[in-house]
Amino acid sequence: MNTSVLSSLGMVLLNVALALLLSPLVEGILRKLKAAIHSRQGPPIWQPYLDLLKLLGKEDLRTSADPFYRAAPALGLASVLLLATLVPMGSAPPLGFAGDIVVLIYVAAMSAVILILVAYGSGSPYAFVGGSREMMVLLTVEPVVAVTLLVGAMKAGTLATGQILAWHAGNGPTISMILAGIALFLAVQAQAGKLPFDIPEADQEIMGGPLVEQSGPRLALLRWTLWAKQLVFAFLLVEIFVPWPRTGWVLPDLLLALVKVMVVLVLVALVDVVNPRLRVEQAMGYYFRVAISSLAALAFAVIGM
Amino acid sequence: MENPTATKPSMLPVVEMATRLMEKNLGSGLWDAQVREPDVLWFRIDRQMLRTATVVLLKELKARFLISAGTDLRAQEKGYGILHLFSLDREGVFLALDCLVPEWEERIDSITPLIPGADWSERECRDAVGVEARGHPDPRRLILPDDWPEGAFPLRRDFPYNERPPAAEGVRPAPKEHPEGTTVIPIGPFFPSLEEPSNWRIFLEGETVKGCDYRGFYNHRGIEKLGDSVLTWDRIPYVAERICGICGFIHSTCYCQAAEKAAGLQPPRRAEFIRTLMLELERIHSHLLWLGIAGHIVGFDTVLMQTWRIREPVMWLSEEISGNRKTYGMNAVGGVRRDIRPEQMPKIQDVVRKVEEEVLALKKAIVGDTTLLARTRGVGILTEQWAKEICVVGPPARASGVPIDARLDHPYAAYDAVPPTLCTQEEGDTWARVLVRVDEVVDATRIIRECLDQMPAGPVMSVMEGEFPDGRVGVSVVEAPRGEAIHFVMTGGLNRPYRWRVRAPTYPNLQAMPAMIQDQQLADVPIILGSLDPCFSCTERMEAVDRRTGARRVYSWEELETMARRAAEERGAPS
Amino acid sequence: MLMSKLREAWICLKAGRVTLPYPFEPHDPPAGFRGKIVVDPDLCFGCGGCANVCPAGVIEIQDQDQFTRVLTFHWARCTYCGRCEEVCPEGAITLSPLYETSTERGGDMVLRLEVFMGPCGRCGRCFPPPSPMERMMVTGFRSDDRGGRPEAWSPGPLGPPDRVRRRNGGSP
Repeated sequence: MNTSVLSSLGMVLLNVALALLLSPLVEGILRKLKAAIHSRQGPPIWQPYLDLLKLLGKEDLRTSADPFYRAAPALGLASVLLLATLVPMGSAPPLGFAGDIVVLIYVAAMSAVILILVAYGSGSPYAFVGGSREMMVLLTVEPVVAVTLLVGAMKAGTLATGQILAWHAGNGPTISMILAGIALFLAVQAQAGKLPFDIPEADQEIMGGPLVEQSGPRLALLRWTLWAKQLVFAFLLVEIFVPWPRTGWVLPDLLLALVKVMVVLVLVALVDVVNPRLRVEQAMGYYFRVAISSLAALAFAVIGM
Repeated sequence: MENPTATKPSMLPVVEMATRLMEKNLGSGLWDAQVREPDVLWFRIDRQMLRTATVVLLKELKARFLISAGTDLRAQEKGYGILHLFSLDREGVFLALDCLVPEWEERIDSITPLIPGADWSERECRDAVGVEARGHPDPRRLILPDDWPEGAFPLRRDFPYNERPPAAEGVRPAPKEHPEGTTVIPIGPFFPSLEEPSNWRIFLEGETVKGCDYRGFYNHRGIEKLGDSVLTWDRIPYVAERICGICGFIHSTCYCQAAEKAAGLQPPRRAEFIRTLMLELERIHSHLLWLGIAGHIVGFDTVLMQTWRIREPVMWLSEEISGNRKTYGMNAVGGVRRDIRPEQMPKIQDVVRKVEEEVLALKKAIVGDTTLLARTRGVGILTEQWAKEICVVGPPARASGVPIDARLDHPYAAYDAVPPTLCTQEEGDTWARVLVRVDEVVDATRIIRECLDQMPAGPVMSVMEGEFPDGRVGVSVVEAPRGEAIHFVMTGGLNRPYRWRVRAPTYPNLQAMPAMIQDQQLADVPIILGSLDPCFSCTERMEAVDRRTGARRVYSWEELETMARRAAEERGAPS
Repeated sequence: MLMSKLREAWICLKAGRVTLPYPFEPHDPPAGFRGKIVVDPDLCFGCGGCANVCPAGVIEIQDQDQFTRVLTFHWARCTYCGRCEEVCPEGAITLSPLYETSTERGGDMVLRLEVFMGPCGRCGRCFPPPSPMERMMVTGFRSDDRGGRPEAWSPGPLGPPDRVRRRNGGSP
C-alpha cells in the first residue's frame, strides 16, 4: 500500500486516539487540581476512565424511540473525533485540505448542535431550558471562534489549517494574533463547559440541563464528547496561536503541544474553580464583548499587524 | 430574670394602656384581660369582635403578629380555643387574643385580610382542629395531604396519635391557576439545590418569573400531637431537638424556656450562660453551612468546600461538649444536663478565635468578587414594607432594614448580660442577606467569648418541687439562625402539656417567596429560595408542561406506575 | 476583582488538604461521646426506670409470669440521648463510644433480656401494689408497634389502653 496513505492513516489514528483516550486522563488531572483547591483529596486521576466503564455497562433508560435521538450521543462523539482529525496535533492535521479551516469552524459547532437536539428530544422541561441556554451560548461563542480562526487564516494568507500552522510557526507573534489568541482562550472556557460558563449543564438550577434524561452508555458518550472537545479545542488554540518552538519532528512537537495544552487547561480549571456560574444573559453579554474585541484583532490583521 | 413568677416590670404600663384600649374598642366584647406571668397579656374576647381587636392591636399598639394556635377545648368549654399571638417588640411583651368557637359552629373570622402573614396559620388551624377562617383568600389544605379524609382533624383530643385513616378516593390536588400566557416549570419536590423536598410551581414568561405556587408539608410529622398525647414534659426536649436538623438546640431551648415559664421554674444562671454559648455555637455552624449551600447553588463549589472546612472544628467542639455533633441532648426543663468543664474553655476560645479569623478573611475575599456580586446584588429584593406585612423574621427581615431580633426584643437565657449587636442592611437583596449572616457569625464569636468570661459558677439544673400547676401558659421566643422560633405551651395535667404549639422561623419566611421572585429570572429562583435559608420537608407529585399547547397535566401515582411499566415492556426488560 | 480571586485562591491553598484518612485509619470520638448502648444483663434487676424515661420508646417491659420480666430493646428507635444511663440505679445500661453501628442482620436491632424476679419471702409477690409498672402507666410509657397495627398503649388524656377506643362514642 502507498506509504503516504499509511502514514496519513497513522496520523488520523493518532489524533483520534489522543482525543479519545487521553481526554479522560486530562479531565482527571483537572479534577484533582479542583480538589486541591477545595482542600480535599479528590478522586484518582484515572477516575474518568472508571466512570466511563461504569456507565457503559449500565442500562439505557430510553425516553424516546426516534432513531436519530438514539444515535445522537455517538454522532456527537464522532463529530468531535472528526474535529480532532482537522486540528493540528504536533503536525499538520491528518485530514487537512485546502479551505479546511472553514469546515473546522462548522464541525466545531456540530457537537453543541447535537447536544441541543438531544436536549429537545428527551422531553424533560429542564432539558428544554438547558437546550435553549446551550443555543444562546452557542450563538455568542461561535462567532468568536470563527473570527479568531479567520484572523489566523488572514495573516497566513491561506485557508488550509496545516499551512496556517506552518506560516505562524515560521513568523513570530503579532498583535492581531495575540488579541485573537486571548479571545479564543476566553472562548475555550465556554466550549469546555467550565464555570463561569457551564450554564447549559447547570446542575443546581435545572437539574443538569440537557443531560438530565441521559443514562448509561448515552451519558458516557455525551460526557466523553465534552472531555474530548475541551482537549481538542486546547490543541487548536496552542497550535495555531502559540506554535513555537517547533522541531519539525512529529513526536517532540506533539509533546511540546501537550505541555502547552496542559497549561491552557490548568488555567481554564483555575478560572473554573474560583467562579460562580453566570446567568445566560450575563454570559451572552460577556461573549458579545469578546466578539467585539476579536473584531478588533481582525482589524489589526487587515492593516497588516 | 429574678423571680420567674413575677410579672415583668416593663409589662405594667403596657397592661394598663392595652386593657384600656381594648375596653374602649370592644366594650362588652372583651371578656377578660389577665396577666399570665411573666410576660403574656391574655385577652379573652368575643369571637365576633376578633377583627376589631386585631385592628386595635395592629394600629394602636403596633403589635407584630407571631402565630395562631387552635386547641380542642370541648371537654372543658364545649368549644375550640383559637389563639392569635402578637408581640410588642419594644416592651418585650406578648399579647394573646383568645376566642372560643362553640363546637357546633367551627368557623371564625379570618384575620388574613388584615395581616397577610396570618395566611398559613389560619389554614393550619383548619387542618388541625377543623375551625375554618371565614373570608380567608386561599383556604386550601396546608399541612394535611390532599387525600386525607374530610372531617378527620388530628389535633382534636378524640383523634388517637397513631390513627391512620384510609385515603380519600378520587381527590385531586388543587393547584393555583397560572396566569394567561405563562408556562409552568416545577422546582421540586426533588431538586439538586433544595436540601429538603418542597413543591414549587414557577409561572414563567420566557425566563422571567411571573408568579409561583407552593405545596409543602407532605412529611408533616405531627410533633405537636405527640407532645400532647404520648410524651411527657421531660421527654419533649429530645423530640423538639429533632424538629430541625440544623437548629435543634434552639427548639429544645425554646421549649424548655416555655415550660419553665409555665411552671415558674428558674434555671440556674450558669445553665443560662451555657445555653447562650451553645445557641451561639449553633448559629455559627448554621450560618457557615448556609454560606456553603448558597455558594453551591450558584455553582461556586469552592465557597462550599471552604466554608464547611471552617465550620468543621465547631462540630468537633460541639461533639466534645455535648457528646454529639448536632443533637446535643443538653437541654432539660430546669437547666442543662451537662456542664462545661474548665479544661474545655481554652479549647472553645481557640476554635472560636480561628473561626472569626477565617470568616473575616473570607468576607474580605468575597466582597470584591464581581461574578458573585453579579449573581446576588439586586436579586430577590424584599422591600421593608413587604417584610413587615408578611411578618418575615430573622436575617431576611434584618437585611431589609426591619430591626427585629428576639435576643434583643425578648431577652432570654443570658442575653441580658451579653447582648448581641443588631446586624442590619438596607437593600433587602440576596447580597444583603449574605452580609447579615456573615456579620452575625463574627458577632457570635464575640458573644461566646463574653459568655466564657462572665460565666458564673454553680449548679446547672434546677429541680422542680411537685407537679406542673394546671391552667398556666408559657410563651418563649428564641432567635434561631433562620429567625424567630416560638414555642407555646399550655399546662394540663398528666405530666404533659395540654397544647404545645411550635412555630419555626421558616414558616413566615416562605410566605415571602412570591413577593421576592416576582419579575426575577428563572436562574435566580434557587438562590432566592436559598437566601431565605429555608428548613422544611415534603413528598412527591409530578407535573408535565406541554410547551407547544401549554396544556398542563398532573400525573397521579397510578398513571406514573403504568407509564413506567409500559416503558419497561418496550425495552423488553422483565418488569 | 482579580484581588478578590487571588485572596480566595490564597485561602484555599493555605488550608492545604484536610481530608481525614478514615476509614482506612480509625477515628476515635472524644470522651463523653454518646454512642451505642450496652446492656449488662448481670446488673439489671428489672426496675424499668430506663423504659420510664426513654423518649423514643425503645424499651418494652412485659411480665411473662410471676417470676420473669422480659425487657425488649428496639435499638432502631434509639436516639442516644443517654437518659437511660442517667437513671439506671445499677449502671446496667451505658453508652459506649462505638459509632460504627450499621448492620445487615435485622436481629441485631432487637435485644431481649429476661430478668428473674425473686418473690418476696413473706407474701410471695414480686412487688407490693401498686407496682412501679402500674405507677408508670399514669405518667407515660409507650409500648412498641409490632409491625402491624400499632397497639395504642398511650395513656394520658385518653385514659389507660383498654379505654382508648371507647371514648366519645366508640369510633376512633
